[in-house]
Amino acid sequence: MELYKFLPKTNCKKCGKPTCMAFALDLLQGKVKIDDCPPLLEPKYKKQYDTLKELLGAEEGQKKELKIDVDDDLCDGCGICVTVCPVNARYCPPTLSGKAPDYPPEKHQLFQVKGGKCELLNLEYCRRLEAQGRERECRVCETYCPRKAIKIDYV
Amino acid sequence: MKRIPCTGCSLLCDDIIVRSDGLFIDEVIGACLKGKERFDQLSSSNRILSPMIKKNGVLEKCSWEDALEKTSEIIKSSSKPLLYGFSNVSCEAQLKGIELAKVVDGFIDSNSSICQGKVLNIAKNTGITLTTITEIINKADLIVLWGANAAESIPRLLNKILFSRGKFRMTGREIRTLIIIDPVKVASFNVMGVRDIALQIQPNKDLELIRVLKEECCVADSISSEGVAGLDRDDLKRLILNLSEAENGVIFIGQGVLRPQSESNLVGELLELVQMINTKQEKGRISLIMMGGHFNMAGFDHVALSTCGKNGGLQFDKHQLIDTDDNIVSKIDNEDFGCSIIVGTDPISHLPLSLSQKLATKPIIVVDNKKSATTSIADIVLPSAITGIEVPGTAYRLDQVPIELKTILNPPSNIPSDEELLTKIIDKINKS
Ligand code: SF4
Ligand code: SF4
Ligand code: SF4
Ligand code: SF4
Repeated sequence: MELYKFLPKTNCKKCGKPTCMAFALDLLQGKVKIDDCPPLLEPKYKKQYDTLKELLGAEEGQKKELKIDVDDDLCDGCGICVTVCPVNARYCPPTLSGKAPDYPPEKHQLFQVKGGKCELLNLEYCRRLEAQGRERECRVCETYCPRKAIKIDYV
Repeated sequence: MKRIPCTGCSLLCDDIIVRSDGLFIDEVIGACLKGKERFDQLSSSNRILSPMIKKNGVLEKCSWEDALEKTSEIIKSSSKPLLYGFSNVSCEAQLKGIELAKVVDGFIDSNSSICQGKVLNIAKNTGITLTTITEIINKADLIVLWGANAAESIPRLLNKILFSRGKFRMTGREIRTLIIIDPVKVASFNVMGVRDIALQIQPNKDLELIRVLKEECCVADSISSEGVAGLDRDDLKRLILNLSEAENGVIFIGQGVLRPQSESNLVGELLELVQMINTKQEKGRISLIMMGGHFNMAGFDHVALSTCGKNGGLQFDKHQLIDTDDNIVSKIDNEDFGCSIIVGTDPISHLPLSLSQKLATKPIIVVDNKKSATTSIADIVLPSAITGIEVPGTAYRLDQVPIELKTILNPPSNIPSDEELLTKIIDKINKS
């Protein structure tokens, strides 16, 4: 839980939720706002408050958009991202055994390796936009790229 | 649109999709960068498209007739021809290479004999447990990379062995433990998860580690608290636990273990260790896979073994195989050759300087499809078609499984396959 890390974690219940964890889950799903946690507004949590604001930037009008960057200079087309992305795994069966997906790509497919380099096909089915709960924090492609070529960012 | 095997390295990935208009390759989908470069060779400026003979110190284009004439002349006038390479050609061409060696009473050896061939040689006495990539995908729960720079030498290997979800390992990555034993922090270290073990061993201490493991195998209590070879005691305990509890463990041995200068008994002791674990262990077994780089390095071992009963270093005399302990290194080092025929490899840049200098003192005939340091100093250069793209053939994957290579395009006019070219040389020599 990325968001939970930045809450006061005191379980003081002032927000009306039983625990900070419950609050974090609701925060993620947009049911509550950061300002609904009174202790967070205290000066000593200023830094965490700001971090949370940034993470949830989208809500604050200055809409932040998900961006997944693949650095062509670093990527060597190993195809690990193609295999590990859970969306690819669901819609492109060959990737289950580490094989390249079929071509032309299935409409949900997120990554493919073409011309020796990884290509991001479309972002809209990425779990960070589509999924609910914990799955929304997916970062496996970024985590397992041996070249550190993938960067997930909000701009 | 069909899926074809890639000949970029010894993994021979058979899932590459190539789009072509019959003249050029438009798109390569699924291959890694190394594989893509292999396909790019087709129209690369580095490609050799005409036979060449050295005249007054410069290579000049010539006719096939002249080139073959001169080739046969050089081979016939020098005693003890040396044939070397053969790890980037099909098994069919390797077979012809052996036939040529027999015809000219030469010595033939492949790149394998200073790499993975050593393992097979030693395994004649100790035995060896092998496995296949498919079995790893479906069943492996422990992957050990020992001196094997997988992410760099065989780019898609980790993808297949570590991240795939096989029949009995549906959860894929989570159920597999990765252990890397390497003195340098290679790129593969970047895929480590929480349960994995990174063992950054001190350089050249592999043998020490193997000896300790052999002593301690299954009883890890007596490792001294300072650890071994720069490795932490707790990490070693976890290593032993993993090795002895794995249901389907695989050790990939790479250049760090196979390197030419490594202590002679390193491989032997490793094989003994694996055997020891397998005898003691009740749940499963540990297997080995050798990581040769060139796409058909394993092939020569099989071809030589099945035709001559020996996997490398074949010496012919009066058209008969004779017994010798020589390998390519000792042959060159002792300057025990009259000319060399290099097929599909670049020894001038791969071999240590002291050897390549000696190799360069005698006439060199090169069969290859691209320019290299070796072609630049050769006396005769004979171009051949690219196997797996322009001509078919058989190649052995790194797990010793034969794969049938396909073709996408026709070779340029006048460019024969390695197999055809070697046959022409044999014919020429037999005739004259
Ligand atoms: S008000 Fe803030 S600190 Fe208190 S329980 Fe809710 S989230 Fe936690
Ligand atoms: S995992 Fe990284 S290096 Fe491999 S194909 Fe994807 S982006 Fe490229
Ligand atoms: S964040 Fe997850 S779902 Fe999104 S592209 Fe990466 S692996 Fe796929
Ligand atoms: S890993 Fe080797 S065989 Fe597979 S695509 Fe890359 S170069 Fe080709």
